[in-house]
Amino acid sequence: MNYANLPWIILFLPLAAATVIALFTLGNRTLSALLSIGAIVTGFILTVAFIAGNGFHPAVSETSATWLSIGTLQADFGLKLDALSLMMLLIVTGVGGAIHIYSFGYMHEDRSMARFFAFLSLFTFSMLGIVLANNFLQMFIFWELVGVSSYLLIGFWFEKPSAGDAAKKAFITNRLGDFGFMLGILLVWGLLGSLNFGELAAAMKANPAALGTAATAAGLLVFCGAVGKSAQFPLHVWLADAMEGPTPVSALIHAATMVAAGVYMLCRIFFLLNADALHVISYVGGFTALLAALIAVQQNDIKRILAYSTLSQLGYMVMSVGLSGETPAMFHLTTHAFFKALLFLGAGSVIHGLHEEQDIWKMGGLKKHMPITFWTFIIGTLALSGVPPFAGFYSKDSILGQALAQHDYLLFGVAVFVAGLTTFYMFRLFFVAFLGEPRTEKAKHAHESPAVMTGPLVVLSVLAVVGGFIGITTIYNSQFTPDAEKLTVAQQLLEPLHNIVPMLLGIGAVAVGLFAAYTLYGRTESDPLPAKLGGLATAMKNRFYFDELYEATFIRLHDGLAAVADFIDRWLVEGLCIGFIRGGTDLSGRTLRLLQTGNLQTYAFLFTLGVAVVLYLMLGK
Amino acid sequence: MNASLMSLEISVLALGLLLMLADLFMPVERRPFLGFAAIAALTALLIASFSGYGSCSISGTAFNGMFVNDALSLFFKRFFIIAAILVLFVAVQFADRIAVGIGEYYSLIVFALAGMLFAASANNFAMLFVAIELITVTFYVLVSFQRGRIASLEAGVKYLILGALSSSFMVYGIALIWGTTGKLNFNELAAVANQYTGEKIFLLGVLLVVVGLGFKIAAFPFQIWAPDVYQGAPTPTTAFLAIGSKAAGFVLLLRVLFVALPVVAAHWVNLLIVMSAITILYGNLCAIPQRNLKRLMGYSSIAHAGYLLLGVAAIAGNVHDATAGGAAILYYLAGYLFTVIASFTVITLVVRKSDTEDISVLAGLYQRSPLLAATMTVAMVSLAGIPPLAGFFGKFLLLKSVVALGAVNQGYYCLVFTALAGVVISLYYYFGVVRAIYFSKDVTDLSPIAVSGSAKICIWLSLAGILWLGIFPNTVLNLAAEAAKVLSS
Repeated sequence: MNYANLPWIILFLPLAAATVIALFTLGNRTLSALLSIGAIVTGFILTVAFIAGNGFHPAVSETSATWLSIGTLQADFGLKLDALSLMMLLIVTGVGGAIHIYSFGYMHEDRSMARFFAFLSLFTFSMLGIVLANNFLQMFIFWELVGVSSYLLIGFWFEKPSAGDAAKKAFITNRLGDFGFMLGILLVWGLLGSLNFGELAAAMKANPAALGTAATAAGLLVFCGAVGKSAQFPLHVWLADAMEGPTPVSALIHAATMVAAGVYMLCRIFFLLNADALHVISYVGGFTALLAALIAVQQNDIKRILAYSTLSQLGYMVMSVGLSGETPAMFHLTTHAFFKALLFLGAGSVIHGLHEEQDIWKMGGLKKHMPITFWTFIIGTLALSGVPPFAGFYSKDSILGQALAQHDYLLFGVAVFVAGLTTFYMFRLFFVAFLGEPRTEKAKHAHESPAVMTGPLVVLSVLAVVGGFIGITTIYNSQFTPDAEKLTVAQQLLEPLHNIVPMLLGIGAVAVGLFAAYTLYGRTESDPLPAKLGGLATAMKNRFYFDELYEATFIRLHDGLAAVADFIDRWLVEGLCIGFIRGGTDLSGRTLRLLQTGNLQTYAFLFTLGVAVVLYLMLGK
Repeated sequence: MNASLMSLEISVLALGLLLMLADLFMPVERRPFLGFAAIAALTALLIASFSGYGSCSISGTAFNGMFVNDALSLFFKRFFIIAAILVLFVAVQFADRIAVGIGEYYSLIVFALAGMLFAASANNFAMLFVAIELITVTFYVLVSFQRGRIASLEAGVKYLILGALSSSFMVYGIALIWGTTGKLNFNELAAVANQYTGEKIFLLGVLLVVVGLGFKIAAFPFQIWAPDVYQGAPTPTTAFLAIGSKAAGFVLLLRVLFVALPVVAAHWVNLLIVMSAITILYGNLCAIPQRNLKRLMGYSSIAHAGYLLLGVAAIAGNVHDATAGGAAILYYLAGYLFTVIASFTVITLVVRKSDTEDISVLAGLYQRSPLLAATMTVAMVSLAGIPPLAGFFGKFLLLKSVVALGAVNQGYYCLVFTALAGVVISLYYYFGVVRAIYFSKDVTDLSPIAVSGSAKICIWLSLAGILWLGIFPNTVLNLAAEAAKVLSS
């Protein structure tokens, strides 16, 4: 059995669910939710069935249909099926499915739950489209669809002005990156004459200099798309604000899937990137990782801490791609999807249990009231911090190893330092929010979430524990470095020992971070750090003033340009040009109408006059 | 001599007479039934024409070549029968507003149809004149049929007097042609016309015939009657004027210009371009300030005559191959038929309860009857020429046929530009109607409008026609192209 049609079904099931919900079942909350959950869970089962039947490298790795054909331009709509896309398919439908189920509990009180699930399914469809696309054009279309559906989801509670603003900010910031992405696609198309990934790869292989002098520009322009979607510096500002959306959305979009799209895309088109472009990419990633980790240290909102930690981890992945390590990047993307989704859902469970409280300083002592959330959250924290043998340890170690192997000691140092910071801010969150005594009434009366929410937590926490050594690297290696040896589970478990320096430094950083966090936050009622760090802490707390900086420069400039354009449009185009034409047309209509007096004699006269004029013109000369 | 070729026309005339007779014997309350009887009979004739049994699908000539059956006449005869059937549907809806003689009203529609069928087959100036007069005289009565309404009578008188004026020009023109050439038959005239292209008396005659036909199609500068008559006439009459009478004018114009006198027509390209351009602008500009729905449709029909003249101008530019322009005209008329019927059916039903025909009666229509609102919207959108409806594809074909000739004569480019400007202007008032349906602020009357079964049939047929022609244009386009070949010389 090769189930050739299964991927098409997997792709279009969520769209069908979204359509049915939007058109027919908006009035029925539960049915809508079940449709949406059913679509993605079926998608997951079908993905597993497909992989069981075909392995990770199907014989038919590409199916496509001509979508439109204009002259020499032919646009295909096709699916690419290889280890990379199939693993992403598993992540999106698997982790996404868990988040869908969790949402059923989390959103249960919301009266627009049906609308929520319609958006969720639309998002899933768009994300699957990116993953399965076999060409740039199709990927770009789904790329934009992801932007739209994330806009809808972030702004789901549109009655809150902050949610509306965050949705706009996310969309517009993404569009900035997408503009570069589009230019990059056009440049590649113009130079290589194709949009199909397979054909592009073949062209680059046949002639590595095919892009000529534009190679760096093309690579960096395409990278712009990833900068926007994966929220890399300088377009990182949208991700933290996007936490205004419902927490499952944060888990789905801003941890497991959408922000991963940029990294996925870079791995998909890795062959287009030359050494210079890769260099820039690795440093952008490293800088983002450091910047975001520093900001995370001084945040107090539980979701914002996780958001900046996401940024920081994405920085790791981008850095790894830049260091020519696609396997470590995708490996970290996968394990990160497990534990970050787990952490977000855990945070959602806390917020749910504390009646929408998000400030960690108003929590405390949650261990007693929310045992499942507590235990799963600590697993997530350990995995993110990179404590062996949790999943994050292995993937982070492979990135550190990659940096060392490339002899980029600066980035290696940054990565180790960020690893320490990560442990520090995560345990700060953990100590303050979960341990100690309840600080508020809300925290005293916290309650555990229902099984529909804790179930996904347990499943994800299992993955966060074992994700590092169940063969994920083997699958990615089969795509990127086919000649790498296949390791057994035991070998994977001990793999970091082969490269002892990064492992020891990584564990050392974790130990330092943990120790610092315990000393400072082990038992404290307020944050001691601002007093110790002074101005630096304030800068961290205020996200290094990037929003203010952009506000003062780009946005002000843009507002000025917009005012000028508005003036031109309103007064010159609309008033002078269009107004003149419109008024003239209207006036001539009203004037001509006067001819139609209704008087029969006049009519007969005009008729005869018309005949006379025609006769004169035709015969008079 | 082959009178059997005319059995369709004879059947239609017999149907008209039967309806009149039946009217005498039928009790008043049963008379609406007559309309359905006429519809059924015409439907049978239409089916016969498609199944190959109708006389109209047998090619040939009769009465010494006065009467011809060819692909062009076949296309138009089917067109006219469909138009009459749909107009009869509208008339059935309108029956309550005609005080006496509804049976006569139906039979007059059928008589006018007979005139149009003869016009489709006319191949001789005498035949042309008789056919046109049969149509026009019938319409004099149809226009003034609401004897109780001053507006209807006024429209009737205006149509009568201006119609008589144009007929007199035309008959004078025919006399001059006969006097100079001694020929009345189109084919015979075509054979000798070459010798007369320099003779002003002959050309004067042809121009006067064109004046008469220009009056029928309401082209500038002979359009002056249209708005008043459209506004005053009973609504089914207006609908029939807008499609039947206009199409009859066009089939005759095409035959005179391109079967009988292609050598003359080829010299008159500029006249046709100018007429087309001014007609388009005049109709669209004057429609802007209109508030009366039927008057608006009157101006709109002038504009559409202008669009159709694009096709005529295109054929004149290359008389040897009339396929592109001719097919575009025929296709456009087919789309226009369904659109006009759809809009006039809605107008008939909406205006029934109120004494005004102002656009404001449409306010809140989408709440009073979603079906009617949707139908009117589709009709307006199609008239404005927006894809995927019939009106778009028709305009596209017409413009395409004209653009193709731009390299030969720069005037064609100016014409295309004018036509596009006209389309843009027309968007304003067509969407003004749509706006009145959906976005009117002060809606006073929200009582639902009852739509009878027969009206629904008519509406669904029109909607199906508009969509089918727009989305699957090939069937009709092939028939039209086949018919247009007759016009190539």
